[in-house]
Amino acid sequence: MKIAIESLAVRYDQKRVIDDLSLSIGSGTFFTLLGPSGCGKTTLLRAIAGFLPVDSGRLLFGEKDVARLPAHMRNIGMVFQDYALFPDKAVFDNVAYGLRARRIAEAEIKRKVAHILERVGLEEFGARLPAALSGGQRQRVALARALVISPDVLLMDEPLSNLDAKLRHTVRSSIVELQRESGITTVFVTHDQDEALAMSDRIGVMNAGRLEQVGTPTEIYRNPRSAYVADFIGAANILPVTLPGPVRAGELVTVDVAGHGIGARALHPIAAGAVRLVVRPEDVGIVRAGSAERGLPARIARRQYLGSKTAYAAALATGLDLNVECSGDGHDGFAVGDAVALTFVPSKTLVLPS
Amino acid sequence: MTGQLRSLWFWLSLAMLALLTVFLLYPVANIFYASLGSASAKGSGWAILFGDARYGRAIVNTIILGGAVTLFATAIGVPLAYMTARYDYPGKGIVAILPLVTLVTPEIIVAQTWLMMLGNNGLLRRWLLDVGVTLPSFYGWFGLITSMTFIYYTYAYIGTLAAIRGFDVQLEEAAQSLGTSPMKSRWRVLVPVVLPAVLASALLVFTLVVGNFALAMILGGRVELLSVMTYQAAVSETSANPALQSTLATVSISLVMILLFVQRWIISRGRYEVTQGRSARPARLRGAQATVLALVAATVVIISLLPLLSVVIGAFTVSRGPVMRWGQWTTAHIERVFLSAPGPMINTLTYAGIATLIAICLSAVIGYLIVKKRNVVTPVLDYVTVLPLALSGTALGIGLIHAFNVGFLPLTGTASIIVLAYVIRRLPFGMRNASSTLYNIPNSIEEASISLGVSPARSFLKVVLPLMVPALVAAAVLTWTTTVAELSASIIVYSGGRETMPIQIFKLIEGGLMALASAYGLVLVAVIVLPILVATRVFRIDLFSSRT
Repeated sequence: MKIAIESLAVRYDQKRVIDDLSLSIGSGTFFTLLGPSGCGKTTLLRAIAGFLPVDSGRLLFGEKDVARLPAHMRNIGMVFQDYALFPDKAVFDNVAYGLRARRIAEAEIKRKVAHILERVGLEEFGARLPAALSGGQRQRVALARALVISPDVLLMDEPLSNLDAKLRHTVRSSIVELQRESGITTVFVTHDQDEALAMSDRIGVMNAGRLEQVGTPTEIYRNPRSAYVADFIGAANILPVTLPGPVRAGELVTVDVAGHGIGARALHPIAAGAVRLVVRPEDVGIVRAGSAERGLPARIARRQYLGSKTAYAAALATGLDLNVECSGDGHDGFAVGDAVALTFVPSKTLVLPS
Repeated sequence: MTGQLRSLWFWLSLAMLALLTVFLLYPVANIFYASLGSASAKGSGWAILFGDARYGRAIVNTIILGGAVTLFATAIGVPLAYMTARYDYPGKGIVAILPLVTLVTPEIIVAQTWLMMLGNNGLLRRWLLDVGVTLPSFYGWFGLITSMTFIYYTYAYIGTLAAIRGFDVQLEEAAQSLGTSPMKSRWRVLVPVVLPAVLASALLVFTLVVGNFALAMILGGRVELLSVMTYQAAVSETSANPALQSTLATVSISLVMILLFVQRWIISRGRYEVTQGRSARPARLRGAQATVLALVAATVVIISLLPLLSVVIGAFTVSRGPVMRWGQWTTAHIERVFLSAPGPMINTLTYAGIATLIAICLSAVIGYLIVKKRNVVTPVLDYVTVLPLALSGTALGIGLIHAFNVGFLPLTGTASIIVLAYVIRRLPFGMRNASSTLYNIPNSIEEASISLGVSPARSFLKVVLPLMVPALVAAAVLTWTTTVAELSASIIVYSGGRETMPIQIFKLIEGGLMALASAYGLVLVAVIVLPILVATRVFRIDLFSSRT
């Protein structure tokens, strides 16, 4: 089912957290709301769920405006951060809860619950109480409970944040798999950029109650619309530079960094003046000073060997540090104190408004 | 819809507030108002209070008694708590049941025991006299301080024990790693963290002493005390004086209110959050140290258990009027309680049963509103429901008979005013029980139920209520055990034929009929102990989880 949000305003604790937000989520899409804590992503999710009253605006599930419909009549499935399993009910009864509320025949409930428990790999655990499950198992019960009612919309509020790092990776793929299979439109809230990039069809980056950018993971990572998005997704280098004249969208320009001209690309029209130069660490090239390739002179200030790659901090003459990553460990390593030159690819170096 | 729902909770909160206004705020306001009136020829209650030195002495005596009992109770309770938290010694398991013992022993029975042991005709006194030791009279300061200390030390014990158990022992280890000796580390690190809890329980003891009626009345002798004089002003046939009793009640309420404010202040500024705690493992003691600790603990336990023991013996001892024939046994007293004079027993069970039911329903609803459905009314509700903590039973009783004597709701002389007094006295405790459980139930559980398609009201019934049941049962048991033993408010509001067991025991003690009093006492203890046993043994409910 398609979700459409039109000029939504939501108040929380007397404060307007979300104001005039519009968003459209296609049917069957895995959509992630990404942002730091306090950006309003959970508020938006809870407004979609119906736990926070909508001040103004429309919220459409398909063609139906549900903005004023109480939560229990919206036919949503929700996975909570702390899972919110009913502690006094066994796994089977937790999962059957929503079906019983829908007055489905007990035989049918048995079949459906057994099927979904098998799908999440918990067919043996129906009689257990939540307290007797591991964190990962609880998480899967919560997911099963939300999916078994065939909701119009699946809402997930940081469901992976209480799992340890290794488990998180396996759960990611199983959630995506279940979502693809069921085709349920999903809104997923997280502050973890890796999670967002790995799982989503589309991502909405939120900042201070507004959607900063909406796009596919590749678009968000490759073509961030603002320095905020670039900074939040991946460890981008952001340098203040001055644009000599206005540029058009897609135009290549040369800007001055520490006395050297660097070629960069503008994603959209920008006026002349103070702007930001944004470049990903893995898009910066690094060569020994005095070699054939010419580049921005720098000195290696710090070095971290990370196995599959090596991360350097290269200090420019102006005192600024640039993060540079070289992948593979076969490459010629540099030592702290080495004089180097940094090279840039204009198509991967972006000029963004400040 | 959400707006409408919220207003449903809002209206419910308002209804609860209205209920409390009529039955709690109005009687209290009545006390203050009546204290200003001049019902007698001598002028207002305040004029009498300041005109007669006896009342000034009563206030001073009450404060001195409060201070002394607080001091002694803390001196016993705190070391006992420290010993129990940090050491293993023989008989520690028995010390653990101490709070239960104080809880189940009605104060009236404690008073009676001390009389039977150390009163003018007491067993122990006569035995000591035989070996040549003459004790000072037990009536007065000696009796008051001794008897109250051995009840109220449990509050110091429970409060301190919880604080020491919650203390993260790694802090002590950290202090030692930084170079202070183990003793010094404890002094510098443990004491400051535990001290607020100790002070808070000490103040609680003080307020309990100020409000105490049974022991003050029976053992007070010639020592003038506020609670006793208030009671006498309220019930005395010849000099019943509405203005004076209200004035005295006002003094006692003000005294307790000041103490409660100081207590809240200490708690609010002194409660340190000890995070990721690892509590200390008790060290096992052997040899002389263990023996000494065990002896100290045993003495305290024996004194605490004495009332239960003596009531059992007294109930089956032959008596002629006030004279006890120790060593001769009979079941006549018990038969009398059940067969020829069952009134007090039936009254107690009926009134306490109804009161428990009402108090638990009110606690659950108000607790739910305050914790889960906050609105403009709920902070007011929160404050009003703790108000009974500041009312001694005597003060509450006076407020109730004045408020409902005549006028729009004449309850004086009916059974409902006794039930009302019970409900109001227990409300703060029931509330604390209900709300502490509700805080532990995350909101997401309720929302999970709603998200699965169950309406908010049915979600409460299907998901929240079942999780509250153990706590509500525990609250019901505690409410029951304390209401069946309630004396100080009911003795003021009751009318002829509506005596409860504590009132009957009080009258019998006044008449010197200790054996029959013991028989009623035994039945009273039985109706207290049975539900506790059923709750803890059969349903495995932890009665004390949310008490301290």
